[in-house]
Amino acid sequence: MDPRAWRRFRKNKGAIVGALLVLFVTLTAFLGPLAAPKDPDLQYSEGLDATTGLPVAANAQFRMGADQLGRDELSRLLHGGRVSMQVAFGATALAVFVGLAIGVATGFFGGVFDTATMRLVDVLLSMPFLLIVIVINQVFDSPSLAVLYVLLGLLSWTTLARVTRAKTMQVRELEFVQAARALGMSRSRIVVRHVLPNVIQPAIILGSTLVAQIIIVESAMSFLGLGVRPPTSSWGTMLHDGVGFISNAPRLVLLPGALIVAAVFGFNLLGEGLRDALDPKS
Amino acid sequence: MRSILRASALCWAVLLLGCKEPPRGPRYRGDGNAHARAGGTLVVHHEADVRGLDPATSYDEVSQIAIKLLFDGLLDYDYELNLIPRIASALPTISEDGKTFTFHLKRGVRFSNGRELVAEDVRWSMEHMLAPSTSSPGVGFFSLLVGLSEFAEGHSPHVSGIRVLDRYTIEFELTAADQTFLNAMAMPFTYPVPRENYAAHPTDVARNPVGAGAYTLEEWEPGVRLIFKRNPRYFEASTPRADRVLYEVNLQRESAFLRFRNGDLDHAHRFTPADRLFLRRSTQWAPYRVEGSGGDIWGLAMNCEMAPFNNVHVRRAVAFAMDRERWSRARNYALRPIGQALPPEIPGYSTTLSSVQSFNRARAREELALAGYPNGIEAPVTMWISEGATGTLYAELAQADLRAIGIKLEIKQVSFSIYLQQTARAHTAQMSLAGWNQDFPSAATFLDILFHSRNARPADAENRAFYRNASVDALLDRARTERDSVLRRNLYEQANEIVTRDAPWAFLFTSIRIEAYQPYVRNYRIHGLWSEFYRDVWLDLPRQRVAMRAAQNPWRNLAALMPFGGL
Amino acid sequence: MLTVIGRRSLWAIPVLFVIQTSVFLLLNALGDPAVAQLGPRASAAQLQNWRHQHGTDRPLGTRYLEYMGGLVHGDMGVSHQESRRSVTDVLETRLPRTALLGAMAIVIEVVLGLLLGVIAAVRRNTLVDTGVMGVAILGISAPTFVTGLLFLNILAFRFGWFPVGGYGVDAMDHLRHALLPAFTLAITGIATYARVMRAEMLETLRSDYIRTARAKGLSEFRTVVVHAVRNALLPVVTLVGLSLPIIVSGAIISEAIYAWPGLGRLAVESITSRDDPVVMGVVLLSSLGVVIGNLFADIGVAALDPRVRTDG
Repeated sequence: MDPRAWRRFRKNKGAIVGALLVLFVTLTAFLGPLAAPKDPDLQYSEGLDATTGLPVAANAQFRMGADQLGRDELSRLLHGGRVSMQVAFGATALAVFVGLAIGVATGFFGGVFDTATMRLVDVLLSMPFLLIVIVINQVFDSPSLAVLYVLLGLLSWTTLARVTRAKTMQVRELEFVQAARALGMSRSRIVVRHVLPNVIQPAIILGSTLVAQIIIVESAMSFLGLGVRPPTSSWGTMLHDGVGFISNAPRLVLLPGALIVAAVFGFNLLGEGLRDALDPKS
Repeated sequence: MRSILRASALCWAVLLLGCKEPPRGPRYRGDGNAHARAGGTLVVHHEADVRGLDPATSYDEVSQIAIKLLFDGLLDYDYELNLIPRIASALPTISEDGKTFTFHLKRGVRFSNGRELVAEDVRWSMEHMLAPSTSSPGVGFFSLLVGLSEFAEGHSPHVSGIRVLDRYTIEFELTAADQTFLNAMAMPFTYPVPRENYAAHPTDVARNPVGAGAYTLEEWEPGVRLIFKRNPRYFEASTPRADRVLYEVNLQRESAFLRFRNGDLDHAHRFTPADRLFLRRSTQWAPYRVEGSGGDIWGLAMNCEMAPFNNVHVRRAVAFAMDRERWSRARNYALRPIGQALPPEIPGYSTTLSSVQSFNRARAREELALAGYPNGIEAPVTMWISEGATGTLYAELAQADLRAIGIKLEIKQVSFSIYLQQTARAHTAQMSLAGWNQDFPSAATFLDILFHSRNARPADAENRAFYRNASVDALLDRARTERDSVLRRNLYEQANEIVTRDAPWAFLFTSIRIEAYQPYVRNYRIHGLWSEFYRDVWLDLPRQRVAMRAAQNPWRNLAALMPFGGL
Repeated sequence: MLTVIGRRSLWAIPVLFVIQTSVFLLLNALGDPAVAQLGPRASAAQLQNWRHQHGTDRPLGTRYLEYMGGLVHGDMGVSHQESRRSVTDVLETRLPRTALLGAMAIVIEVVLGLLLGVIAAVRRNTLVDTGVMGVAILGISAPTFVTGLLFLNILAFRFGWFPVGGYGVDAMDHLRHALLPAFTLAITGIATYARVMRAEMLETLRSDYIRTARAKGLSEFRTVVVHAVRNALLPVVTLVGLSLPIIVSGAIISEAIYAWPGLGRLAVESITSRDDPVVMGVVLLSSLGVVIGNLFADIGVAALDPRVRTDG
């Protein structure tokens, strides 16, 4: 990396906070299982209150309390990040990559290619998600996690593609880009030098939004039998399961919720920091 | 600094505006009428939808709740499950050999279209339901009627075993003394309907119901709500009841309960764990809370034709491995653990069976060893469940219990229709989470349907464990025609015992119904058989708003700001 | 411009055709609707009879041609439910309700989202900016099934500021009942628009012509509102165009929580009960929404920046 960019990055408080949050969430997700004090799938009968059956609050045995089946909440959180972050990373990376590529290409070149691709976007946006999930679940006998995030990624690039396309069309018509073209600058250089820096901003924002949405959607899908299979935990499913207990054990919603917020916040701040650091204009 | 002041001022404004005690008890109480009065609208709901309103074909719980308002039959049950006459003037007279049943009808009973209901209508309705063109799911309950097969094959225009003796008398003759016949005659399938309505609505009679019930259908927006209006021609029209019943369908549990507590809904049932606990611990709601038995049985059905469950010891091991008390605790005690094929209120329930299917991990391991798996089973077992969070919860409980004895359980979650199709197919689903609801208070509706070999058909089995045992079949067939109730009970108890020992299912629990109603809703009781039975309710109106105390200590309102102030 | 609209409207036909065909095939891959409709206790004869009555026992090709033929004449078939209502009839009652909810949500998210975004950009790197963006991140991360329940519990049930769900009886009542579900529906939109708007504003405020405008002595307000906002709007307009399908899918949860009998609830009801003709109808409506929304977005982009050709 350009040393000046690194200096700019270090000076940006938001970027540092973002990087730390991302580091924290990623470490939790990938090293968490090593730190988990208990087996996340083991259901302890002392994890449920004997008179009400409610999950017990934090105590010496369960440091963050138990979940609705008497499992150790902390261990499940530490194990659950892996699935959530894998899916979120995988699907978001795929969606951002495809969305950027298609958005820039259609916006820059236009014509028949643009028209046809945008109609494909219309089709994809109109497909009922619920239905696709149910059908996929039936076609692949036991779909793996990879199928899940390819599916999510392939369904999520459309918004970003349209925004990128609009932005690219705008940039393409700017005077200095026209001038560069007239001077014979190659198309790929124009894209890299002028178009990409302009479209990266919405990509960061929509990308970090996608992280949140995909973590949540993953939990909805596991209720339809696609994605993580019980007893494996994920932050999304933990959040979903906890809603029924929101007035008795709010931590079952708040703890996984906080981790999801941290992930989204982190990716967003880090993304913006990186952009500022790499963009010499600022 | 100024912004901080402004922000705190805003916070205080919010607190003051919300300056009421969070309502914990009912928001309204009744007017205090000593005697039942007519009038008002009863607003009730269900989380599922009404499928259709044709008593001959509608066979789901929600539709039957509505059908009970629109129609009435010859017989019914009182709240304690004794058979009582409704349109019949008395319980039928039964011949010496127990094969002929003679019903006398009340005079002057009318359909809601104004025409008098006579014996001929009862016959027409029965034959309409039994006709192959109607393809009613209820036909099986009347299989012993004389002349049914000639009628079904089109050789005879009538069922010869159904005879109209005069305008108000009708007789049924059976080929054997079927002891479930009167139960069958109290099912909605037999409810009299006017034939002219079927002529007027050849394809859509299910949305234009005409019956002889307490209410008529005023409006129906499918998927959203139904409005029932009091039927002034009902034969018990003088009994005071609500003028209208507004039935909202497809409502989500959490928000429906909030609407109930707000006074927008008059009756609440089916709760999230948190709401159920709130109700059970609330002293202010206690007078308006009722609990009753679910009349159902839940368990893990194990396919007796597929390995490893073709070995009885493996099945027994699974039955021993289930920590039913823990299941109950995880459902906040909204279910009652059970270790046999019948719920306690059904004759045939055995009090001596308690140790056959009970939680005993050591016995489970012994049985596994007997089956040749001393160290557990290597190959994972697949359990089918349908979508939804409750199914997943049970699946996870089963998974943990089986893991403890060395069986790895994999969960296959599919849509409800696929679940139904696949588990009914031979050699397809190793194991499934299964439940069954009573049709009427008899062991036959559990044991015959779930465990008789005749229902283990290869493509559309109701016996989803594909369990076959000739001695169970024989006991069940004998019990069905045994007239002596003590002997019958004995036969069912024996069958129950064999089934429990053979463990085609690991029997787990029967559910507990918990419901609540508003203080101004009167005469609502849990019926032993019918879900949410609203016909006899009257409303103590006008309802009075319960004054809410302004909070003494504003800090207490901080609790109100949080969703967690539960109690 | 008119030719663009005309061409795009023609394009809608193959798009809708592809969507309807694939949904038809998807539904067909899902097994027998008779089982889902009649439930666990149906007899084999009853299932057979049902299939015959509803014509699902006929070959796939025949049914497809018949459905598409009907569609050309504006006939979307009859619901599989026993009520046997025509699909057009069902959609006619449900569509206006979701349209009301959606329209309110779009207004709320555009107004609040843009306002917050502009404020955050103008006051960048202050407490206001940090606060607004923090709340926006929370809004994006909190799923509707949590926020919806919280609002219903606190704002409606505890404080009594809104009705506790339901649809109401007359026009004013509908509006009153729609407020909270519409706001819930709008949260993600508010947060996204605010963030995109802020980022675009910052970009624009740094650009040369804004500096020129300032240098010319234009008031700060005029600079921001007339020049910067107009320039920053472009990606937001595209996003608003895309929000129609998001509203329909978001409505699934919002409508369920607030007992609002609209299209979102219909979508779930019809998919789970395998009421295939209604599923097809709902998909047709939402895809029309997508096509129209995208068309408007392109027109909007062209209107904001006339140099951009919109032939897509």
